[in-house]
Order: sequence, then C-alpha cells, then structure tokens
Amino acid sequence: MKQESKLSQKQEPLAETQTQAEATQNQAQTAREFATSEELLRADAAQTPVPPEIEQRLKKSSAQIQPPPARPWWKNLLGR
Amino acid sequence: MNESVAGQNVETPPPAAAGWAVPEFAGIYEEHSRPIYYLTLRFLADPQKAEDATHDVFLKAFRRLDQFRGEASVRTWLYRIAINHCQNLCSSWHHRHVQTMADDALWAGAAAGTDSPLRVLETKELGQRIQQALDALSDEYRLLLLLVADEELSYEEIGALMDQSCDAVRGKLHRARKAFAVQFAKTA
Repeated sequence: MKQESKLSQKQEPLAETQTQAEATQNQAQTAREFATSEELLRADAAQTPVPPEIEQRLKKSSAQIQPPPARPWWKNLLGR
Repeated sequence: MNESVAGQNVETPPPAAAGWAVPEFAGIYEEHSRPIYYLTLRFLADPQKAEDATHDVFLKAFRRLDQFRGEASVRTWLYRIAINHCQNLCSSWHHRHVQTMADDALWAGAAAGTDSPLRVLETKELGQRIQQALDALSDEYRLLLLLVADEELSYEEIGALMDQSCDAVRGKLHRARKAFAVQFAKTA
C-alpha cells in the first residue's frame, strides 16, 4: 500500500512531455529483485544496524559479573 | 582476540576491547552481534525487545564462557542461547500467534508464480514488509528462514539448532520459502 502511494507521488511531478519510457526507467532504478527469501533476508540484515546501546549496556553488565573462572587456552600456554 | 597473541602484545587489549570486563569477549561481540540482533529482531518483531534480548543473550554467553568447549562454533552456540531466550520470551508474553491458516495451506494454495523473484522497489520499506511476512509464518518456518539466511551456518548446524535432521530441514525449507513468498507478495 505504502509503495503504491510512493510511486504515485513520484509520478505526479513528472512533466507531461516526459515519456512513459523515462518514467519506467526511473522506477526500474529503485527496483531490486531477490531470487530467494534468504537473499532478501540477507539484504535486510545487512541494512539493519545493531543499536550501539547494547554494547554499552553489555560492558556495564559484564563489569558487574565475576569474570568467568576458566582461563583462555593461550594464556595457559603462555603461562600468564 | 587472537591478534593480541599474534602481536605478542597480550597486556594491551585492542581498541575495540576497551571497556569490556573480559577483553576477549569484545571480539565475540563484534563478530556475532549483528546476526544475533537480527534474529531476535525478526523473531520478536520488536526493536526494544530485540535490544534487551541481544543484551541478555550475550550476557548469558559471557557468564557461560568457561563452559564453551568448542564442540560447536561460537555462532551456533550463541544462536542456541538466542533461540531458547526468544522462545521463552514468546511463551511468557502470551505472544503466540493464532494461525488462521496452516503454513502448508498458505503455500499449497498459492499460484505457481510464487517461485518468481521477490521484487521490492524501496529497500527502506524492506524491513517492514519482511516483518509482516515473517509474522504470518509459524515460529518454526520463521526461525528456519532466518537461520538459513546466515551463510555461516550449514544445514547440519541448522538441523542441530532446530532438533531436526538435515533432510527435514531441507524439506521444510522448501515449504517455508513458498509460504514466505506468498506472504511477502501480500505486503506489496
């Protein structure tokens, strides 16, 4: 529904002299096709940013927790 | 986290690790926060709840870091925590959707044209349309599509996460794709 109204808005300012072919070309420039649902979801995921607040909250939360007792293997290896 | 080892500069954490109680966890968060957030966002259909859930998932992982044995990938391990967390939230919120139609009926009655490419004109509206389409699916189909969309996961790993065989995953994926395509077309 929203897309239809957007297209209508885009088409309104077009001068009468502008050919239908030009209008179609303008629409084609914003159109995008996805072969599969996975491709679509990947594109969506790629344009979905992670809110930076999560990292800030995590840093605070993890600071209040006793660090995990196990040492990383490489620290054991280095004897630190 | 391996950079500090390779660079033999173990005492100085990388800049991304600044502020973390355990600097090694910074790398885990940086690498996996996007897919985990995306899964929670699309599964819970609520940005605020997704934010809280992502925080809780990584905090649980942080607490259990010593229990991670490397038998599965970190990504799979985090997904398992995230899926359990989301499913618990959904059951506690009375968030279960009443399916007016079974998923199978959705795709079985669909026109043959649903195999055609999914077309969008404005990518900024993509998220809304995807959410609407996913919301119309069962939790199982929604989760399956979200996991398959992550290229780092194999069918074996997805099967393990969903407690199903590889063949079952492939079979259901076919139906889930069709059901999604039908619902996505309705959002146009």
